[in-house]
Amino acid sequence: MSTSKSFPTELITKYGLAGPRYTSYPTALQFHEGFDAEAYRRHVQRSNDDLIPLPLSLYVHLPFCETLCYYCACNKKVTRNSTLTDSYLQSLDREIEMQGELFDRDRQVIQLHFGGGTPTYYDDLQLKHIIEKLSERFFLSRSSAREFSIEIDPRTVNEDRIAYLADIGLNRVSMGIQDFDPAVQKAVNRIQDEDKTLGLIQAARKAGFNSVSVDLIYGLPLQTAKSFETTIDSILTVRPDRLSVYNYAHLPHLFRSQRMINTDDVPSAEVRLELLASTTSKLVDAGYVYIGMDHFALPDDELSVAMRDGSLQRNFQGYSTCRATDLVGLGVSAIGKVGNSFVQNQKDIRDWQALISEDKLPVWRGIALSGEDRLRRETILAIMCQGALNFREIEQEFGIDFTNHFALELESLKPLRDDGLIELSEESLEVTPVGLLLLRVIAMKFDEYLITGNSSKAYSKVI
Amino acid sequence: MSSENHQKLYFPERAQVACSECTLGNLCLPRSLDANDKQQFEHIVNKSRAIQPGEHIFRAGDKLNCIAAVRAGCFKSYVIDQNGEEQVLGFYLPGEIIGFDAIHEKVHNANVVALDTSSVCGLSFSSVSEMARQLPDLQEELFRVMSSQIAELEANAADLSAEERIARLLCSLSSRFANRGYSHTEFNLSMSRRDIASHLRLATETISRVLARFQSAGIIKVNRKKVSILDVDRLGELARRDTC
Repeated sequence: MSTSKSFPTELITKYGLAGPRYTSYPTALQFHEGFDAEAYRRHVQRSNDDLIPLPLSLYVHLPFCETLCYYCACNKKVTRNSTLTDSYLQSLDREIEMQGELFDRDRQVIQLHFGGGTPTYYDDLQLKHIIEKLSERFFLSRSSAREFSIEIDPRTVNEDRIAYLADIGLNRVSMGIQDFDPAVQKAVNRIQDEDKTLGLIQAARKAGFNSVSVDLIYGLPLQTAKSFETTIDSILTVRPDRLSVYNYAHLPHLFRSQRMINTDDVPSAEVRLELLASTTSKLVDAGYVYIGMDHFALPDDELSVAMRDGSLQRNFQGYSTCRATDLVGLGVSAIGKVGNSFVQNQKDIRDWQALISEDKLPVWRGIALSGEDRLRRETILAIMCQGALNFREIEQEFGIDFTNHFALELESLKPLRDDGLIELSEESLEVTPVGLLLLRVIAMKFDEYLITGNSSKAYSKVI
Repeated sequence: MSSENHQKLYFPERAQVACSECTLGNLCLPRSLDANDKQQFEHIVNKSRAIQPGEHIFRAGDKLNCIAAVRAGCFKSYVIDQNGEEQVLGFYLPGEIIGFDAIHEKVHNANVVALDTSSVCGLSFSSVSEMARQLPDLQEELFRVMSSQIAELEANAADLSAEERIARLLCSLSSRFANRGYSHTEFNLSMSRRDIASHLRLATETISRVLARFQSAGIIKVNRKKVSILDVDRLGELARRDTC
């Protein structure tokens, strides 16, 4: 993708609105408590009844961290209290048993992801125990094509641990780096050694992880385009397969820990743009493919291949090459997707544990998708993953007249077309290379809940 | 609940049924009767209320009062074996008759449950039988329907591979849908894969595996419970039947 040559600063400034990341549609803002454990059971049963049930993905949320990174907006708990973290594992075991009961045993788990918090807060044996428990209650695929991944905080592991994680069956790893600049690390309370981190990435390769991904964040306090370039240069020496370069959303009114960050230190909109522009061009010049929505991958990585052949999928971790799955969310606040529904667990650890201790599924809320939701989900996914929308295909699948059904939406897309973000014809919508940087803005035009006027304050800035 | 009450629940009153105006007129029992005889037949028909998915119209052990003709929806019949496992005997679509198994011992042998929102016409069996003595056309139609049910069961009892069984079921459903004026190449199934597996005496995962195989061979396309037959001829070959 030739995004590097002329970075569309003006357009990004113009469209720099708030917007959802569309890891799901409808977004979590539409989940409601009317969708309860009983509703979830029904959707699972219906998915088991399908003629060819989808294979499964498991997401396991391990929320604990030893220290607080000030920028973090995840659901996590900073603690060193092992009574708390051990009892969390016991509840997790019980949840795995209850959820395992719901799904037919022949449904293979082809994807597994440990997210946090800091999954590696738990020691080797504890992580091994979780995988054993999962394998006891679910049918874990043994194919080498399975994607079993874990988020690693490099401060919590050494090379031996990395090798151990590979031994217990994990084959993908994403490492949180954020920024190597000591001043930035201090400002966000995440001090991590550059050489050690790079060494771990190489150790992961050696241990046989077949995809190594790193997470970076731009827009952190005290970051400058120059300091961030130094971080990128350093990372490029080990050439990870994938990079996610997330935008830091400074929302101290929503996330208490962000109040520890001096707002004056947060880069201005101009600097953020500069950060995004220089990072994008640096990575593209280094041979990475821009996948969309903050994600980059080497050209021979599956993600890039999937992008080219149109088989890219979107999930709560970003992008994936896995074929469609039903997703089981395990652990506090975890989100699942089964059939035409989304479900989310209780977000408070005590509430989550209380329900489990009564042998109840720890469901907090969810949503059953209407026909209209499904139509719009498909439309938004096509934009986010294929960068293109074939109207006839949507018409065939949903029995609508696209131009008629989306008359208002198509009208509202015209300014985007005039600005060169998309190309519109009678048959299709195609995202241009420039538009690829503003996918959310395009997708938002099809978001019924935004159109009908739901608050957008809670979303992070598009850039 | 006693079988009397049970059946009253579903066949509550004598409703105005006009078989002559019924959309299933060409499929159902009175199809070969002339206008006069049809009118006479209508007197023994009780129309049910809407039956929700999961509701039973017959339970194994119920005394035979009625047989039922499906008006809308879909039913499955099943028995519980010694191990407490459900054994699915058959599926019934609109225009098909349920309850012939009860004739010889005057007791229903199978449980019959709705898979969709459905409705039936209840037919008092003694009246049907009485009327069949007077109307040879009706008697012949009864024999024909019973015989076709027996043939279907016998075909299933043969020693067939999983592929053949599944292909046969798809062919059978395809032609039954076609007879009802629906598409024969694209239909939504009401039964779960577990029901199909039980009916065909196959493991649940075999159903999905074989359907996936048919799908990657380009013979069918499956989306949740919707089946599209893309290659009718090859499905027919797999079923070892001339037509599909």
